[in-house]
Amino acid sequence: MKILEVEKMVMRFGGLTAVDTLNLNIDQGEILGLIGPNGAGKSTAFNCIAGVHPPTEGTIKFNGENTNQQKPWDLCKKGLARTFQIVKPFASKSVLYNVTVGAFATTDKRADAEDKALAVLQTLNFEDKKELKSGSLTIADRKRLEIARALATEPKLLLLDEVMAGLRPGEVDEMVGIIQGLRDSGITIFVIEHIMRAIMALSDRIVVIQFGKKIAEGTPGEIASNENVIKAYLGEEYGTA
Amino acid sequence: MLYFIEDTINGILMGSIYGLTAMGLTIIFGVLKVINFAHGSLLMVGMYVAYWAITLSGLHPYLALVVVIPVMFLFGYLLQDIIIKPIFKAEKEVREPITVIIVTTGIWYILDNLALLFFGPQYRTIENNPLRGKMFELGDMLISAPKFWGFVIAIVTAGAVYYFFQYTRLGRAIRATSLDRDAASLAGINQYKIYNIAFGIGTAVSGIAAITLIPFYNTFPTVGVAFDIKGFIIVVLGGLGSIGGAIVGGIIVGLIESVGPQYMTATWTEAIVYGLFLLVLFVKPSGLFGEKNDW
Amino acid sequence: MTGNESLAPSDNPSGGSAGHSSVSGSNTGHQGVSPRKKIEVFSLLGVVLIAFGLPLIMTSPTYLHIVILIFFYAYLTTSWNMVGGFAGVLPLGHAVFVGIGAYTSTILSLQYGISPWLGMIVGGVIAMGTGVLIGLPTFKMRGAYFALATIAFAEGVRVMVENLNFLGPFNLNGPRGLQIPPVNFGFANFMFQGKEPYYYIILIMLIGVILLTWFISRSKLGYYLNAGGEEPEAAMALGVNVARAKLIAMAMSSFLTALAGTFYAQFSLFIHPKSIISLDLSFEIAFIALIGGRGSIAGPLLGALLLRPVSDFSRIYFGDVFPGLHLVIFGVVLILVMIYQPRGIQEPLTRVYNRLINRLTKEGQAKEAS
Repeated sequence: MKILEVEKMVMRFGGLTAVDTLNLNIDQGEILGLIGPNGAGKSTAFNCIAGVHPPTEGTIKFNGENTNQQKPWDLCKKGLARTFQIVKPFASKSVLYNVTVGAFATTDKRADAEDKALAVLQTLNFEDKKELKSGSLTIADRKRLEIARALATEPKLLLLDEVMAGLRPGEVDEMVGIIQGLRDSGITIFVIEHIMRAIMALSDRIVVIQFGKKIAEGTPGEIASNENVIKAYLGEEYGTA
Repeated sequence: MLYFIEDTINGILMGSIYGLTAMGLTIIFGVLKVINFAHGSLLMVGMYVAYWAITLSGLHPYLALVVVIPVMFLFGYLLQDIIIKPIFKAEKEVREPITVIIVTTGIWYILDNLALLFFGPQYRTIENNPLRGKMFELGDMLISAPKFWGFVIAIVTAGAVYYFFQYTRLGRAIRATSLDRDAASLAGINQYKIYNIAFGIGTAVSGIAAITLIPFYNTFPTVGVAFDIKGFIIVVLGGLGSIGGAIVGGIIVGLIESVGPQYMTATWTEAIVYGLFLLVLFVKPSGLFGEKNDW
Repeated sequence: MTGNESLAPSDNPSGGSAGHSSVSGSNTGHQGVSPRKKIEVFSLLGVVLIAFGLPLIMTSPTYLHIVILIFFYAYLTTSWNMVGGFAGVLPLGHAVFVGIGAYTSTILSLQYGISPWLGMIVGGVIAMGTGVLIGLPTFKMRGAYFALATIAFAEGVRVMVENLNFLGPFNLNGPRGLQIPPVNFGFANFMFQGKEPYYYIILIMLIGVILLTWFISRSKLGYYLNAGGEEPEAAMALGVNVARAKLIAMAMSSFLTALAGTFYAQFSLFIHPKSIISLDLSFEIAFIALIGGRGSIAGPLLGALLLRPVSDFSRIYFGDVFPGLHLVIFGVVLILVMIYQPRGIQEPLTRVYNRLINRLTKEGQAKEAS
C-alpha cells in the first residue's frame, strides 16, 4: 500500500483550474519531488493533500484511508505534517515553545512534550538556540524551525514546501543532509522545491507540473533530459529535437 | 395607510441621513482597512464645531458647511498623522491591526469626555433656527423639512464622494493604495499621506453629516455613541467600503426604525436592528455591496 | 503514532540551570530548587499573606470597599484574559456574562428562595452555554468583526433586559433593575453585614482564577491557544483544532465571569442593566487587561491594581470639578501604552522584577561562595 495516493485530483477556484487531473503516488520511505514553474499549482496541491481545502474532484488516500474532507489537525494526528512556503513561526515565543506545540500532537503532558521537543531540536542541531525568540531568527533558522515543529508531531509523511528558498548554497547543502537524515529515520518525504541542485540530489522520483497538469514523471536523470520539462522551464525554443 | 406612507418616507429620509453619518466610517475602512471606533465621537465633534460656527457667526446652518468641512478635514488628517500612523508603522505586516481598534476607542473616550469637561453635559440646540419645525405638505402628509434637506445633502455627498474616488487622480491614488500599499508606493504614492487624506475626507464627511443633524438633533457630549453603534451596523449591512452601501444600509435601518414602532414596541425594533446586524455578520459579512474579502 | 528511533527522547538533559531558568522556564530533569525559585515563591506567599491580613489593618469600610472592587475588576480582567489574551481575539461584550450571572442568581434567590451560591453555579452554566453559542459563529470572523459581533450581542441583550419586565415566569423588572433586601444574614445566603467576608470571598476567587490561568498557560490547552491566536494556519497544521480550543477558552471565561456577576449582586444589593450589562463595563474590562498586558498572567492583575485606584481617586477628588477626567486619563494611557508598549505595562515591569531577582540571587550565590 502506498502511503499517499492522489487520483484524478482537480482543484478549481471559481473559474480558475489550479490543479487539473493530478495523479501521483508515493511509496513508504520514498522522497518524491514536485517541481514546476511558478504558479503551476504545486502549493495548491499540497493544500488539498494537507486538508486546508478539499479538492473539487478526485480522491486523496493517506495510508489507504480517503482523506478528502479531513481537516489539517486531524491529518496531523494521523501522521501527515507539512511546512509552509512563507514560514509562520509563533514569533513571540521561543524556539522551544514553538516545537513543543508540535510535540503536543502525541502527548497531553507538558513535560513529555518538552522532552520530545528538545530531542527534535538536538536532531537538527538546533538545541543551542532553544530559548531564542523565534521572531528574531534568521531566515535559515526559521526554515529549520519550521521543519522542527512539523517533525515534533512524529509524522509518517512530511510535506516540505520550498524549505530551501532564501538559503545560501552552504545552507542548502546542510538542509539536503537534514532531509536525507529524516528519510533514513523512516519518514516519507514529499518536497516542493525550486532549487534544482537540491531536488535532483534528494529525490528518488520527480513529478513535474505545469498549469496544474502533470507533464512528466520519472527519476531525476529522466526528468533532466525530458523535452517537455525543458520547454516548460525555458520556453518552446529550447526543446531539443 | 397614510401613516404607513408617511412613515416610510420619513424612514427613507432619516435613513439616508444615517447613511451619511456612517459614510465616513466606510471611507476610512475602505482605504485604511481600519474600523474606527472613534467614529461617533468625530460626529460629535462635527456637531459642536457646527454649533459654535453657527452660534458665533449667525450663519444659516447649511452655510456653516464652509467652516465645518475644512476644520473637520484638518482634524481627521492630524488625528491619523499623529496618533494612528505610529501604530500602522509598528504593525506593518498585520492586515487589519487590532491595536488600532483599541487606540481609536481610546480616542473616543478622550474626545467624549473632553467635550463633557469643556462644554458641559447640557443639551444644546441652535437659537434662531430657520429650519425649526418646518414641514412640507405632501397631500395630507407632513414631511420634515430639515430631514428632507438632509436627504438631499446625503445623496449629493454620496455622489460627490463616489465621483471623487472613481474619476479624480487623487481619488484613484487613494483607491490604489487601499488595494495594495506596496504596489502603490512603488508607483510613487506616499502611502501615509494618502492615509492622512483619506481619514481627513472621512472626518469631513462626518462633519457634513453633523450639519444635517444640527437643525433637528440635540448636541451633547455623548451624542456620538448612538451613531457609533448604528454606524457599524449600517456599514456592515451595506458593505464595508461601499459608499452606496452606506446609504442603502442607512435607509434599511431608518425604515425599520420608523415603520417598526407601528407594529411593535420601540424596544423590539432596536432588538431587530441588532439581530439583523448579527445575521449579516454571520451569513454575509461583506454586506450587500461590500468587496468579497477573506472575511 | 509510530515513533522514529532516532527521534526517541535522548537521555534527559540533566540539571536545571540555576539562575538561568526564566519565569516560565522548563525544569526538565531538575535537581533541587534554584535560589531564584525560592525567592519567587516566598515573595508570592508574602503578597498573599499581606492580602489576607489587610482587613485587620485597614478598618475603614470605604477603603475596604475600594479594594474589594479592585479585586473584583482584577478577577474580571483575568477571566477575560482567557479569551482576549490567550485566544487572541478581542471580546468587547463580556459584561453580558456578568449580567447573566447576576440576574440568574438574583432571580432564583428572590423568586424561589434558592441560595445564591447555587444560583451562582446555575448562572455560570447559563453563561457558559451562551458563550459557546456566541463563539461558534463569531470565532470564524476576523478580529474587528468579532469585536463588533460581541458588542452587538451584548447591547442586544441589554436592550432586551431593559425593556422586558418579565421573561416567562422570571421577573426582570426592566430598567429599574432588581434590589436585594439585606435580610437573612449568613453564609448560606451569601449575605453579610460587614465588608470583610466579601473581601475574603473575592480574594479567594481572584487567587483561584489566577492559579487556573497559570495552570492553563502551562498546559496543552494554553500552548494550543497561544499558537492558534498567533498563527492559526500553522497551528492547525501542527494538530491544533483552533476553533475548539477557542471555544473551550470561551466556555471557561464566560462561566467564571458570571460568578463575579453573582458576587457583585450580593455585594452591592442592586443590579440594573445599565450598570451591569453596560458597554462601559465591557470596555473597561478589556482595556484594563490590554493596558496591563493581555496574554500574560500578571498583566490583567497589574492593570486592575494600578488603573482602578487611579480611576476611583480621580473620580472621588475631581468628579465634581472635572467630570469624566478619569476617562480622559484612561484613554490617554490606553493610547500611549498601545503605541509604546503594545504588550502591556507588564513587560517593562517584568523586566525590572527579573533584574531585581537576579541581583538578589547573585548576592545569595556570592555569599555561599565566600
